[in-house]
Amino acid sequence: MRRALVAAVLAVGAVVSVLPFYWMVVAATHDGGELFASPPPFLPGAELMANLARLEESVHFGRVLATSVWTALVYTALSSLVSAMCGYGLAKYRFRGRGVLLGAVLATMMIPFQVLLVPLFQMMASVGWVDTYQSIVIPFLANSFGIFLMRQAFLGFPDALLESGRLDGAGDLRIFYRIVLPCVRPQLGALVIFTFMSQWNAFIWPLLMLNSEERYTVPVALNHLIGLSHVDYAGLMLGAFLATLPLMLVFLLFQRQFVSGLLGGAVKS
Amino acid sequence: MKTTHVIAALTAGLTLSACATGGAPAKEAPKLAQPSAAAKLSGKIEIWSWDVAAKALQRLAPEFEKEHPGVEVDVRDIGYDNAYDKITVGLKSGSGLPDVITLEDTAIAGYAENFPGGLVDLTPVAAKYKADFDPAKWAAASNAKGLYALPWDSAPVGLFYRRDYFQQAGVDPESVATWDDLVKAGEKIKQATGKRLFVSDLTNPAAFTTLLQQLGQGYVKNGEVAVASPAAVRALTLLKTLKDKDLLQNEKGWDGRVSATKQGKAATQPTAAWWTGTLTGEMPELSGKFGVIPLPAFDPGGARTSANGGSALSITAQTRNQDLAWAFMEWLLAGKDRQVSMMRTESLFPAYLPALADPYFDEPQPYFGGQKVNRLFADQVRHIPPVELSGDDKQAEELLKKAVPGVLLNGADPRTALDEAARQLAAATERKVAS
Amino acid sequence: MTAAHSAPVAAPAVGPRAPAAWRRRTVPWVFAGPAAALLGLFFAYPLAASLLQSLQTEDGGLGFGHYARLAGDPSFLRSLLNAGLILVVQVPVMIGVATVLAYALNQSWLRFRATLRAAYFLPAVTTLVAYAVVFRVLLRTEGGAVNQVLGTQVDWLNDPFWARVALIGSITWRWAGYNAVILLAGLQAIGREQHEAAAIDGAGPLTAFTRVILPQLKPVLLFCSITSTIGTLQLFDEPMVLTGGGPGDATLTPILYLYQVGFRQFDFGYAAAIAWAVVVLIGGLSWLQFRYVGRERA
Repeated sequence: MRRALVAAVLAVGAVVSVLPFYWMVVAATHDGGELFASPPPFLPGAELMANLARLEESVHFGRVLATSVWTALVYTALSSLVSAMCGYGLAKYRFRGRGVLLGAVLATMMIPFQVLLVPLFQMMASVGWVDTYQSIVIPFLANSFGIFLMRQAFLGFPDALLESGRLDGAGDLRIFYRIVLPCVRPQLGALVIFTFMSQWNAFIWPLLMLNSEERYTVPVALNHLIGLSHVDYAGLMLGAFLATLPLMLVFLLFQRQFVSGLLGGAVKS
Repeated sequence: MKTTHVIAALTAGLTLSACATGGAPAKEAPKLAQPSAAAKLSGKIEIWSWDVAAKALQRLAPEFEKEHPGVEVDVRDIGYDNAYDKITVGLKSGSGLPDVITLEDTAIAGYAENFPGGLVDLTPVAAKYKADFDPAKWAAASNAKGLYALPWDSAPVGLFYRRDYFQQAGVDPESVATWDDLVKAGEKIKQATGKRLFVSDLTNPAAFTTLLQQLGQGYVKNGEVAVASPAAVRALTLLKTLKDKDLLQNEKGWDGRVSATKQGKAATQPTAAWWTGTLTGEMPELSGKFGVIPLPAFDPGGARTSANGGSALSITAQTRNQDLAWAFMEWLLAGKDRQVSMMRTESLFPAYLPALADPYFDEPQPYFGGQKVNRLFADQVRHIPPVELSGDDKQAEELLKKAVPGVLLNGADPRTALDEAARQLAAATERKVAS
Repeated sequence: MTAAHSAPVAAPAVGPRAPAAWRRRTVPWVFAGPAAALLGLFFAYPLAASLLQSLQTEDGGLGFGHYARLAGDPSFLRSLLNAGLILVVQVPVMIGVATVLAYALNQSWLRFRATLRAAYFLPAVTTLVAYAVVFRVLLRTEGGAVNQVLGTQVDWLNDPFWARVALIGSITWRWAGYNAVILLAGLQAIGREQHEAAAIDGAGPLTAFTRVILPQLKPVLLFCSITSTIGTLQLFDEPMVLTGGGPGDATLTPILYLYQVGFRQFDFGYAAAIAWAVVVLIGGLSWLQFRYVGRERA
């Protein structure tokens, strides 16, 4: 009885959560003009293919999607590793410079990115990285949110397990990969989702760095649909909807880690 | 190996840019040198633009390249939304900008004043064209020190109206000559059709600014803060009158305005010539419903237009090929052929006055019931009141974003609200309040 | 550096135990080094440059002029007040909702768990440009879905009070599920035995939740509340695209103001001062949260 109530509340909440997204999908299947009717349409229309063709023609959406996918994958792989390692180092070792490093991580997290744009852009320009892929991937590999997330995750990791690993004669790196990482798979899953998302939706920095259409990422390309005296709303909705698909795929793949994490059961304190 | 290089370069770059931040940038804009007639154009330029303007450039650049073998004009569509973030960062950091950028008129003064040395002063080569361009746009591109852009398209404002609503209410649009006439007509139309007079985003001072320009004034006058001048109070009072009579349809943002127009919520729309493109593009089903008359004047015989939008091209000081940049701009903008061609194909309304004599402007427009709306707008271009633009206009706009809704939504008194905005603007910019 | 360490060839031991002191100093950097190097290379200069810029005076010297101006700037103070309101009202509500949501979604008896999780996470992945348009359509006064469902005629984006409500609602909509996912990951790392132990101990589920689960969740909760605090004080996207900070100053946030000052009015020095004032505030609030949650295990 109580369970049914909880389930019902959860379901209603889920509908509220999904509703705006549903309307986005609906809008993606209509002609831009129809969206301005009153009340706006609430059922899918018949313009999906036309919108798709226009989106491909105006911003080369296929190519843009591919660029976003591979830059985000490279970024996610490298940045997750850097974050997990740094988070572990900060949580499980005492060393000179730890406080400074933690402070630096927190400071980059706290400083509004907007004031770093100009000096960071200067740096990129001075090494000739304007309009390159590396400019949108490399500077942010040390993702302070990711590092902080992992530090918090590792804080609760029992030292006894590490000790037993050491007694077995395993090196620190080996302990990290063989014992520690498997135990925090749920949080690693969260880290990967989070890292992928931050790169996938990154807008202002790629916008500043990229000048060539053939290097645009999804958010930068979609931005081109907003013109001075014309906005392609249907294309915008369709592009935004398609852009969420890879993200949802990553989410569904990695949220399973949460579940398998349950079976790990190695974490006891 | 390569990584080491990059790291070394980054570290070196740091030192360099650290110096750049510390040192003061050039205080004077570089002047464009008169190219010697014999010099042959060569090399490559890059141009940033957006929207239909970028399409026009992409269409015409190959023609220019054909006329000048060996040159390359690379057009990049950087998108309109957030384009200024790119330009601002490029100017502030002194790097990353192309040879030529597109700027809206309202952006030129801000960049010219706040980044002296960022844009090239075109006076030496362009001064000779002054009489050929829309005077309001020429004023927008210049300040006391120089000329920082060459005008491209004009945005003369007229009054779009719904023929059916006017007819239903028995109002002859041609009889509307002043704002007083329009207010009266608006009340009649509202009574007959239930429709309000026009769509306006009341949280945004744009309508106020357009009316202010119609009265011949910008936010500053002779360098002094003029947002509380008699003209400003008059413009805002007109809007308040309209609001008090419930004649304004308040809609948020661009989508709100398009949507309300499409749904036929308003009888008129005071806006610029480019609105024709939005109407034909977004609401073809309303063909035949719209007509255009000149903007009603404040006083009989007063200006019957204003400006809302319009762009220009600027050469950045980061260019390495000034001659080619200017040659292309001159070829594109300071002549009839390309200006008319861009009007025909991309609906970019020429700021180059001789182009307005082209017979194209006399063609009847079926969407507007056969009315020659382009001729109507073309005739207004030279009458757009030039106003003084300043580097502090954006700041003024932020303050007006508070003052104008204060009056229109919360019922504050126009004079009081504008006086307060003027006081704050004067304090923030160290300008005097115009008496 | 002792002679022994600079001549590793001479060091006989190969095993993990050998040069213990040297290892103690270097091993942590094997883990933290890459991040430290990247942060140093790419962010040391921008951080220093912005700090320097905030202190630069008009005549080229250094001083606290920009910071003094902040104290008497009504727009800045108003933006802080708005952020404070969101911090007090929205963050606790959202974290509370997210915690309950995560706990509920973690129940083994619940069906369609994966679907429900995805549904709650969906808002967080929606691209900003689309989000803005969708919300403007939903929040339209006439014919907007929200007003139709509620049967109201609220002017969501033009009335100072309702604009704040709309802003808070849309932030919660976008980020509650996201925080729930992070908390869910934390819950699952706790391990089944403990969940079971909590259940068996006889206490009701509520007691089990507060006595056993919550304390274990502390580090993750701390992460969520600190990042949400940062997110609130750095709030930019939502007010930028939904209300532009208006009407008046009603939804102006510190970073939206920073953006206007820097990127619209080109006063980069003042913008940098706003940024660093925000850093100090966030730092203070984070420190309080660290303190409040209690001494962490390290």
